[in-house]
Amino acid sequence: MVQRHQSPVSRVLLWIIILVATTWCIFPFYWAITTSFKTRNDILTRPTLVPWLDFKPTLFNWQNEFGNRWPEISHAIRNSLVIAIGASVLSIGLGTLAGYGLARFRFQRWKNRDMTMFFLSQRFLPPMVTAIPFFLMINWLGLTDTLPGLILANATFTMPFAVLIMRDVFKDMPPEMEESAYVDGASHLQAFWHIALPLAAPAVSAAFIICFAFAWNEFLFGLILSYQNATPVTVVIAGLEHTQGIQFQAVSTRLLLAILPPAILALAAQRYIVRGLTFGAVKG
Amino acid sequence: MLQKGRTKLLFVVPGIAWVLIFTIFPLLYSLRLSFYQAKMGTPMRFIGLQNYVRAFSDYRWTNAVFVTLFFVFCSVLLTVSLGLGLAMLFNRPIRGQRVFRSLFTIPMFTAPVALGYLGLTMFHEEVGAINTILRALGMLHLPAWFSNVWMARWAIVIVDVWQWTPFCFLVLLAGLAALPEEVYEAAVMDTASGWLIFRYITLPLLSPVLFTVIILRIVEAFKVLDIPFSMTSGGPGAATQTISFYIYLTGLRNFNQGYASALAYLLLIAMVVIATAHFRRMRHSFE
Repeated sequence: MVQRHQSPVSRVLLWIIILVATTWCIFPFYWAITTSFKTRNDILTRPTLVPWLDFKPTLFNWQNEFGNRWPEISHAIRNSLVIAIGASVLSIGLGTLAGYGLARFRFQRWKNRDMTMFFLSQRFLPPMVTAIPFFLMINWLGLTDTLPGLILANATFTMPFAVLIMRDVFKDMPPEMEESAYVDGASHLQAFWHIALPLAAPAVSAAFIICFAFAWNEFLFGLILSYQNATPVTVVIAGLEHTQGIQFQAVSTRLLLAILPPAILALAAQRYIVRGLTFGAVKG
Repeated sequence: MLQKGRTKLLFVVPGIAWVLIFTIFPLLYSLRLSFYQAKMGTPMRFIGLQNYVRAFSDYRWTNAVFVTLFFVFCSVLLTVSLGLGLAMLFNRPIRGQRVFRSLFTIPMFTAPVALGYLGLTMFHEEVGAINTILRALGMLHLPAWFSNVWMARWAIVIVDVWQWTPFCFLVLLAGLAALPEEVYEAAVMDTASGWLIFRYITLPLLSPVLFTVIILRIVEAFKVLDIPFSMTSGGPGAATQTISFYIYLTGLRNFNQGYASALAYLLLIAMVVIATAHFRRMRHSFE
């Protein structure tokens, strides 16, 4: 970047804007966290912002969440974990293969670029468009309210991330090592498995995290494909009471449990987020 | 690259098969459904284009289209311009930039449903954080976020803006960082006006990235369902009932699957138009 002369005033202004942006970004989490340490009384009588200063924090809500209410939410967390991991494994498996194929080989009958767009278009499709036939199909397969049913649905929606990220990563990788393996008589699959894949391991784990986060956060298909046994966290959250008497303190503990896993994981995929979420259109 | 054998097909066929089974087949099935009167409990009957015709006189559908267009327009405009502004600010050596960037990735990865609920507690008219702050700032007529039609619409826009501004910021920052420095050095010699440099150098150079961000944002915004679902339940009345929300209610609550499929196809057509614009431009890079 060009070093332009900066007056102290503009420096101060810059930091004020940064401060505002950071506050804007953090505040909702701060609100959820402080709310989770308030009593119902504190919440309903007067609005409070700072613990100790204007309300006395209590562990009650968390004790309640991990006590009485734990069976329900722990079941949902387990479901979400199984669904998100299962879907990510499937989409990474299929996506890494396809991404490698698209990056390394030239296909004649169906051009590479059209194939890439075919995979990508999946992500442009509003989930609601396939929700009804998917619902009927899962029903027909007898997979309603089962984890495999939800894994299938989520893998379908996360696969474009895997294909496009891996295609981009393999394209950036020099092909010489694989070529020398071919000279030694290796097959395509061997070159892929023993040489390209290990080199791409960091990208694979980043793609995995992105798929995991989107599957964990998915709501619509969880809502229509499960009602009891396979309900993921997002659906349990949406089932919280929704009237005047909304229990802020009880809601906030659950929200935090739902929000934290993918948010923390995403920090580890930092380097790949820009290219991942733009499907390789912008290099981060 | 080597062309030997047909093993290269092994790499792409499983993925293609998956998309054919779990996306293309359902799409074809719902295309068929959209020409039928298909309501759970009643026999299916072919009715041609009647479902599509019906949509144009369905005031709830028109409402959903309007709500969605308002949402898409406001959300995309705000996220992209705020993201661009922030990216311009951050595109210089700033101490702790990595920390800020990590911080800004968190909103993108929070479940929208949970965010809607968080919004519910924050926008609460009496004891929510937002009205508390507005009151402290001396505002007398506090906004009625959930009982006023337009305020409720703005509330869902604000939550979405909160979630997706960081995405625009990070992508545009990456775009800015990749611009060639020499051009700037030359420009700084010629003019001192930051605006001129922005208008005639930064913006044109950045436009491919900007275009990508806008398209991706439009596509995501059109899918909106989770936030109004959990935050406003589509209310007050149907003020925040988006297209996806209305299709959900029609097809999966009232089980009018034929009509819902027709509506879904209308949404699909809009998406195809937008996606085509993007794909045509991206084509060469998918080679």
